Amino acid sequence: MVRAATSTSGSVDAPPPVPETAHHSRGFWAEAWRQFRRRKLAMAAFCSVWFLVVVALLAPAIAGTKPIVCRYKGELYFPALAYFNESWENPIFFNDKFRKIYPKNLKKKDPESWAVWPLFYQDPFRRIKEGEWEGQPENPSGDQGAPNKYNLFGTNQQGIDVFAQMVHGTTIALLVGFVSMGIASLIGITFGAVAGYLGGWADMVLSRITEVVMCVPTLILILALLAIVEKTTIWHIMAVIGCTGWTSIARLARAEFLKLRDSDFVIAARALGVGWPRIIFRHVLPNALAPVLVPITFGIASAILTESSLSFLGFGAPPPNPSWGTLLNSGRDNMHLWWLIVFPGAAIFLAVLAYNLIGEGLQEATDPRLRDPGR
Amino acid sequence: MRRSRRCVSSGYGFLVGLALAGVASLTTAIGPGGSCCQAAEPNAADEKFTPPPLAELDAQAGWIDQPVVDTLAALRKQQAGEKPRATIAAALAMKNKSRPDNEKIAGALGRVATDDAQIDYEANINRHIRRDVKSTNPIMMSATEEFDIAGLTGLSFFGFDWRLEPLATAETVVSWQTSKDRLMDKLVIRKDLTWSDGRPITAHDVEFSYHTIMNDKVPVPAVRSGTDKLKAVHAYDDQTVVFFHKEALATNVWNINFPVIAKHIYENSLADDYTMQESKYHVRYENDPVCGGPYTITKRVRRQEIVLTRRESYYLHEGKQVRDKPYFREIRFRILEDGNIALLAMKNGEIDEMILTAEQWVTQTGDDDYYRLNTKISGLEWTYFGFNWNQKTAYFSDVRVRKAMAHAFDYREMLDKMFYGLYEQSNGMFHKGAWMAPKKPPAFYKQDLDKAEELLDAAGWDDHDGDGIRDKKIDGKLVKFEFSLLCPSIPERIKLCALLKENLAQIGIICNVRQLESTVMNDRLLKHEFQAAFGGWGTGTDPDTSDNIWATGEGRNFGYYSNPKVDDLYKQGRLEFDRKKRGEIYGRIHELIYEDQPYTFLYFRDAFYGFNKKLRGINFTPRGPYHYGPGFNSIYKVK
Repeated sequence: MVRAATSTSGSVDAPPPVPETAHHSRGFWAEAWRQFRRRKLAMAAFCSVWFLVVVALLAPAIAGTKPIVCRYKGELYFPALAYFNESWENPIFFNDKFRKIYPKNLKKKDPESWAVWPLFYQDPFRRIKEGEWEGQPENPSGDQGAPNKYNLFGTNQQGIDVFAQMVHGTTIALLVGFVSMGIASLIGITFGAVAGYLGGWADMVLSRITEVVMCVPTLILILALLAIVEKTTIWHIMAVIGCTGWTSIARLARAEFLKLRDSDFVIAARALGVGWPRIIFRHVLPNALAPVLVPITFGIASAILTESSLSFLGFGAPPPNPSWGTLLNSGRDNMHLWWLIVFPGAAIFLAVLAYNLIGEGLQEATDPRLRDPGR
Repeated sequence: MRRSRRCVSSGYGFLVGLALAGVASLTTAIGPGGSCCQAAEPNAADEKFTPPPLAELDAQAGWIDQPVVDTLAALRKQQAGEKPRATIAAALAMKNKSRPDNEKIAGALGRVATDDAQIDYEANINRHIRRDVKSTNPIMMSATEEFDIAGLTGLSFFGFDWRLEPLATAETVVSWQTSKDRLMDKLVIRKDLTWSDGRPITAHDVEFSYHTIMNDKVPVPAVRSGTDKLKAVHAYDDQTVVFFHKEALATNVWNINFPVIAKHIYENSLADDYTMQESKYHVRYENDPVCGGPYTITKRVRRQEIVLTRRESYYLHEGKQVRDKPYFREIRFRILEDGNIALLAMKNGEIDEMILTAEQWVTQTGDDDYYRLNTKISGLEWTYFGFNWNQKTAYFSDVRVRKAMAHAFDYREMLDKMFYGLYEQSNGMFHKGAWMAPKKPPAFYKQDLDKAEELLDAAGWDDHDGDGIRDKKIDGKLVKFEFSLLCPSIPERIKLCALLKENLAQIGIICNVRQLESTVMNDRLLKHEFQAAFGGWGTGTDPDTSDNIWATGEGRNFGYYSNPKVDDLYKQGRLEFDRKKRGEIYGRIHELIYEDQPYTFLYFRDAFYGFNKKLRGINFTPRGPYHYGPGFNSIYKVK
């Protein structure tokens, strides 16, 4: 495979007498990573995205009302996993009439039981009531929910903890970005690659399709979808964002393929009798990927924004969903409750900023003209 | 004012479209073509019926006089005997923090004008509405906003006062008489009435309006119901019109109250365009309608504002003043969808009145910034909300399941935390203060999850496959108890539905909350395509108006509720004329329905209004501050 086609760091066919100290030139991606790491802002953004991933994965352990792990009637259970999927909650707790309240019931129904609890006893879906957790007062509601010791980011009008909602909302924010852009890149790259490599009528047809899709307003499509689908979930929304957001990826991929399809290594592959799908995906694509990654990163940022604005308008994931946009929406009802606007607003802003910085860093790290100005 | 029951929307309720509320309000009938009100039948009856000569009628009828009242004068007279609890200055200086405060403010600002010198006749008022109107034609009205407009621009011969007693309005009527057998009503209208284009208003307009409303081809959305109970309407001369009834019903006094449109405008054009708003000619009159009421529409910017202007030819006739001069020179309806923006406009003095949400009432209107220009008043309103269960689904056909739902819901959380303790729990459709409510109101449901689980177990909804979700074997297949609950996209209501979801999850039932845009939801309800839905209803002036919500097979009986006893009682109620006995009948209906739990009854919502401090003469009825007689007509601005 001709990896170094677009790389600039040294020549691959160096003269035979290789001195022992000479190092192998880095591969393209290794070089890109090295360059990326040099950019502090981009690295900080990269780390913060990882931080969000960790928060999302550990959400039930950070804030929740279900034990992370507990021993009950001689068996080990992980009730907190129910936050990821409701059906993962062991039916024993239903049969024993826990009614989703664990602390009191565990002790009452099995004095021998023990449990490891989340850091904060707060729930993203309901108000904590008096006496649920020893020593913790009930959550304030109405306009009384300013941040306090038990509710770090305050509570909304219904008394539901904002911190818990934000922690659990991280999953949605990340998923929306990754899943929708995953779908978008799959479609976009395939379309772009085929159009660019084959050219001719295939290019003509696929480019026109791309243009048609560009005309479809995502928001309106989602609103229409919500009216039709009986049980809309966040996955439907991701699918729509993905299915409409691939156009810029397709266009960039097409341009890259147009550029690369007549390069030597492609001609060589063709001469060897390699089939076109294999040439496209095995040989050309890895070389065309770098410029395409950039719009994908920006796309993740805009997908997060789309989901937030949908939730803000009240058309997001079905309620009760702890999405950041939904929180902002409840803040809109009463501007005095600043904590409903500041915290989720900041979270959306930072997440979007992080993705944009990563995109920019990636662009600089992979594009020699941006990377080495002056050379 | 028309009688009626609206679906509560205050922006988007059950049937968002149906809300009544202008000076009038409507009964049932939804959807294009008014599909639910058997329209063909009365027309057929009409054709066969030949009205006897007037002399013959007068000889046989044994006319009994009915009240013709100037409601504003009547209210002024009543207030003359009462002493307000606070002076206006004191009322304006205080903040509305408790019930006694509210009574003081309401009492002081409720005083109607006794002297013309108090009134600023050159004043404008800016009113707030949440949505644009679909039509300015009074017979096309269906949503709250349309009633608001039609109530001011439209012509009304009948109405009701603050006690919801039916009457004919003295501004337009000379006499109103009912025959001894209650099968006829004779109305003589005043000679000094003109349309805004200068042509006289006559009894022929009334007859023409009746025929138009009952014309199958005209897509009347709401006002046909009630009107369809009439056998015929006949104008004997320019002033005399007789209404013929099919049956002697207690509700006949409401059925003769339908909107009146100008015959000379629509007579010849109707056949070309039955929608009354599509042809070029009709579009012209849609935008600049010929009005019979105190105001005319002078400007209409879609989705922004509708401006009404006082009509000189309404209160002046041949240069002489023949009626009270309407208090405002101009009424501007500003369309602001977002409640927050409306509140900001209110604080800036850009609008003079608005409906406040519970949250706004408690947390956003207590500061000096708000009280600088405004004050607020709350009043009783018989509007109730609940979860409507579709009984043609496997889940809710069993009354035990519906009762389990009622036991599962956390009423305290809703009342204390979501509604700031402002609303009261509902135990059925009639408010305890109403004459039609049962004397001994049924006990309130309380959250009792043990009881809910017992009922579900008894109904066969147990967890058979051990996955923690209740299920039941139906036709050999295990059906999970998982349903979707429709809810309009209003944050407050979504949160209420989310609370039910949480409560039901505790007892092993999955409830998926589906938020829908209001028109889509309305459509789904009418087609009965839902499992459960959240919504509410306003009160009608007569309890009989609720018949289309609860009687078997009726248009707004979305959840297929059916109880032969209730159907029978509604029929009895219509035939009974003694109010006390009628009250007992409707009380019984109330109890039967509460026992059957076709809805989980949640709460009554009172009226919460913000008013500019310059406004006076505001009085509250169970139908709010505007939609009765005198209603909006008693409100004025001081200089």
